[in-house]
Amino acid sequence: MAQPLIKKDDDRDDEADYSPFLGIEKGAVLQEARVFNDPQLDPRKCSQVITKLLYLLNQGETFTKVEATEVFFAVTKLFQSRDIGLRRMVYLMIKELSPSSDEVIIVTSSLMKDMNSKTDMYRANAIRVLCRITDGTLLTQIERYLKQAIVDKNPVVASAALVSGIHLLQTNPEIVKRWSNEVQEAVQSRAALVQFHALALLHQIRQNDRLAVSKLVTSLTRGTVRSPLAQCLLIRYTSQVIRESAANTQSGDRPFYDFLEGCLRHKAEMVIFEAARAITELSGVTSRELTPAITVLQLFLSSSKHVLRFAAVRTLNKVAMTHPMAVTNCNIDMESLISDQNRSIATLAITTLLKTGNESSVDRLMKQITNFMSDIADEFKIVVVEAIRSLCLKFPLKYRSLMNFLSNILREEGGFEYKKAIVDSIVILIRDIPEAKESGLLHLCEFIEDCEFTYLSTQILHFLGIEGPKTSDPCKYIRYIYNRVHLENATVRAAAVSTLAKFGALVDALKPRIFVLLRRCLFDGDDEVRDRATLYLKTLAGDGQVVETDKDMQAFLFGPLDIPLVNLETSLKNYEPSEEPFDIHSVPKEVKSQPLAEKKAPGKKPTGLGAPPIGPPSTVDAYERLLSSIPEFSNFGKLFKSSAPVELTEAETEYAVNVVKHIFDGHVVFQYNCTNTMPDQLLENVTVIVDASDAEEFSEVASKPLRSLPYDSPGETFVAFEKPEGVPAVGKFSNILKFIVNEVDPTTGEAEDDGVEDEYQLEDLEVVAADYMMKVGVSNFRNAWESMGPDFERVDEYGLGPRESLAEAVSAVISLLGMQPCEGTEVVPSNSRSHSCLLSGVFIGNVRVLVSLQFGIDGPKEVAMKLAVRSEDESVSDAIHEIVASG
Amino acid sequence: MILAVLFANVEGNILIERFSGVPAEERLHWRSFLVKLGADNLKGVKNEELLVASHKSVYIVYTVLGDVSIFVVGKDEYDELALAEVIFAITSAVKDVCGKPPTERLFLDKYGKICLCLDEIVWKGLLENTDKDRIRRVMRLKPPTEF
Repeated sequence: MAQPLIKKDDDRDDEADYSPFLGIEKGAVLQEARVFNDPQLDPRKCSQVITKLLYLLNQGETFTKVEATEVFFAVTKLFQSRDIGLRRMVYLMIKELSPSSDEVIIVTSSLMKDMNSKTDMYRANAIRVLCRITDGTLLTQIERYLKQAIVDKNPVVASAALVSGIHLLQTNPEIVKRWSNEVQEAVQSRAALVQFHALALLHQIRQNDRLAVSKLVTSLTRGTVRSPLAQCLLIRYTSQVIRESAANTQSGDRPFYDFLEGCLRHKAEMVIFEAARAITELSGVTSRELTPAITVLQLFLSSSKHVLRFAAVRTLNKVAMTHPMAVTNCNIDMESLISDQNRSIATLAITTLLKTGNESSVDRLMKQITNFMSDIADEFKIVVVEAIRSLCLKFPLKYRSLMNFLSNILREEGGFEYKKAIVDSIVILIRDIPEAKESGLLHLCEFIEDCEFTYLSTQILHFLGIEGPKTSDPCKYIRYIYNRVHLENATVRAAAVSTLAKFGALVDALKPRIFVLLRRCLFDGDDEVRDRATLYLKTLAGDGQVVETDKDMQAFLFGPLDIPLVNLETSLKNYEPSEEPFDIHSVPKEVKSQPLAEKKAPGKKPTGLGAPPIGPPSTVDAYERLLSSIPEFSNFGKLFKSSAPVELTEAETEYAVNVVKHIFDGHVVFQYNCTNTMPDQLLENVTVIVDASDAEEFSEVASKPLRSLPYDSPGETFVAFEKPEGVPAVGKFSNILKFIVNEVDPTTGEAEDDGVEDEYQLEDLEVVAADYMMKVGVSNFRNAWESMGPDFERVDEYGLGPRESLAEAVSAVISLLGMQPCEGTEVVPSNSRSHSCLLSGVFIGNVRVLVSLQFGIDGPKEVAMKLAVRSEDESVSDAIHEIVASG
Repeated sequence: MILAVLFANVEGNILIERFSGVPAEERLHWRSFLVKLGADNLKGVKNEELLVASHKSVYIVYTVLGDVSIFVVGKDEYDELALAEVIFAITSAVKDVCGKPPTERLFLDKYGKICLCLDEIVWKGLLENTDKDRIRRVMRLKPPTEF
């Protein structure tokens, strides 16, 4: 909170330095507000008090409910004054006070009067105030006036109504949508701002109607757009139309490209940028299409205005991600921006150069960056570190200088996020560039000698335990690890003990010495450290002898946990202490897919040390509990997987039904979730009649009807099928909802007795191969692939025929197999001609499966794919190929 | 959406702040972030020279006018270029009301009028008026000249 303004310099008694609000105090101002109640209003005095109230509000001061109500009622009295200046202040004050719905009524009539006033400007302001404080009921009363106002000749009135419309669309969409004819008319207005506001509102009203948006764009691109702001909107909507029509255009010229290209020569800079951005973001943009946009952006790189330089370099930075070659012409201009005073511009320039530079320029660039790093904030440094990581992966031969750079900045001051970004980068480089391993591990060892972040220390120790023993001279890392046992907190000490044990397990020569160190840890002050030391000594050494570590022990030390931690946590919480020990195999492994809203969030790439992505708390338990409570299904065994709900009805129909497919080893249960959306009906004895004639391997064994389905209170009915055990049988099922309808008396809410039997056709349902696969990710695909071994590897090649794009082919294969994409490989860079995708999952029967896919696309968009499968079972590897061959 | 318009004095005290679509608990963060941004970069900057920054997916355009620094924060369609348009409308209108780039005292003397200007320019996160002559007239409830 800002201090009330005080005199800056006591030595100067110049009155100009005193604030007119010096010593202002809320209580006193509220007292002063009583002048609003005077029978003889003094407009000047009243305006001054309102200004003071506004000052208080703008300083973040808040009024209590009682204070706000009092001020509001007092302000409404000011409608009696005919003073124009005061009236304008009153409008503003009412908006600032945002009166509650029960208070609004006091001003409604005054505002309605102003809304029909002959003075245009009263109308405009009354509209804005009313729309700010109104609710749906009042809105229907004033709707007629608002519609008139939209087409008012006075542009200020029209704009007030249109901008109100944009705000009201959020709260009362169905009312605002009725104004589209008037808004359409306003789009043709000769007043520049009216056209801008009308265009924005019309697009929002019609945004779900592709045809209407397309028509709007077509007519406006041929007509006149009067303001640069409106032109920018038009460009945005045009790119949307281009994006949506791209799927339908097979070849030939891109629609509207000429319009966009023409906008590059517009006199307003904001239009030029908007057009350039639209062109660079076209899907599958060619270098011929890109060139004019890049050329104008290049010119702006040397503009004297910060905003234009920033906008240009920001756009080029984005282009460099997908088309680095197109940006190389700008490299010289970009290099001069490294020393730009504005650090945002400099950082964008550097990261763009890191993406577009060639191998020979790396060293020169690194020199420039070293000077730059010392005077930027952590958030910019992280961006640079990430860019350097990608550069190193692009030019692995340059790993030495880039790794040195990373280790140098690791030693400097910095916050957790920054240090984590550097450590993650080093870890990724170690994993991907074998030559970088030894030096990278030593850099990490040096870092943990003086690391203030427990999280990073433990993660690095864990990583050392996996990679260190495989190096040519593992013993050189022991000193760094054992130092932790002496110098760090308990969490790090415990991690160090585990790491020591891993060295002991893998390097027989070190084992005796490791035992000595572990024995010393038996006297540690912390329980966990002592427990770990005892456990490892016992399991590694057996009865105290130095023996070769067996496979079970290695799996215990190095094997992945295999279970999502959230599921483990839930199962442990549900476990009740008893004679029977907790069985880790009872923990479900399925990673539930994320809810839709979360999926839309931009995906973060997995980072080096991060654990595999883990979904939110699973609903598997809930399903399992539900199904096991039904006696008919109790002998089906353990639930393998439950699918996401599949909708069997259109949206907004009388009855909404979706189905969840529950897969067991020898059975499949369909759970139909039904909702009755008819307030005047009660459904009874609800069942689904399933025709399985297109699913030969399935035979119905049980059905559990739903006794009663009242309005808006969802319920479930089940149908169970038997299928051959362990076989991924597929088939199509048609469904009819059968029930008895009872009319409900709307006055009493009671159902009438004489129900009528009725049926309702539902969509068909399919059981597909992907239903037998659980999405289970691995954190390091390469390690998992190597450790699976080539014994049951099956490789084959497939032609996938003509496809819209490589990305479409990749996502089709992923959804066909229903497996979890690993390491972000599901994302296909636009315009790439080939792509590798890594998948992981668990097939029915609890068999782990890993899939490596390689895709290539040729000129006529024919896609070819090489599929390599490794699994723990030969027949499962073959089954995966069968799924692809028949899909 | 224009997320914030903020005026501060030379010492970094807030003169006017208007947020739209920013949760109350995040406002303090924004306030201190902007004031620090101004303290770090606005020294020696000419009147109305626009500086720019971005923070995550949000853009900030800011400048100095007399003794007052002005910050405008936006996201999505209100990118750095649209914000430049908004801040241009604000600086022109403030200069028009004050008659010159204002001292802090002058700014506070004209406080009520400046609040009215802002009300005409930005309305709940949307740009409504840009032309200073029109703003001057509509503040006095007079119709625009072109009408």
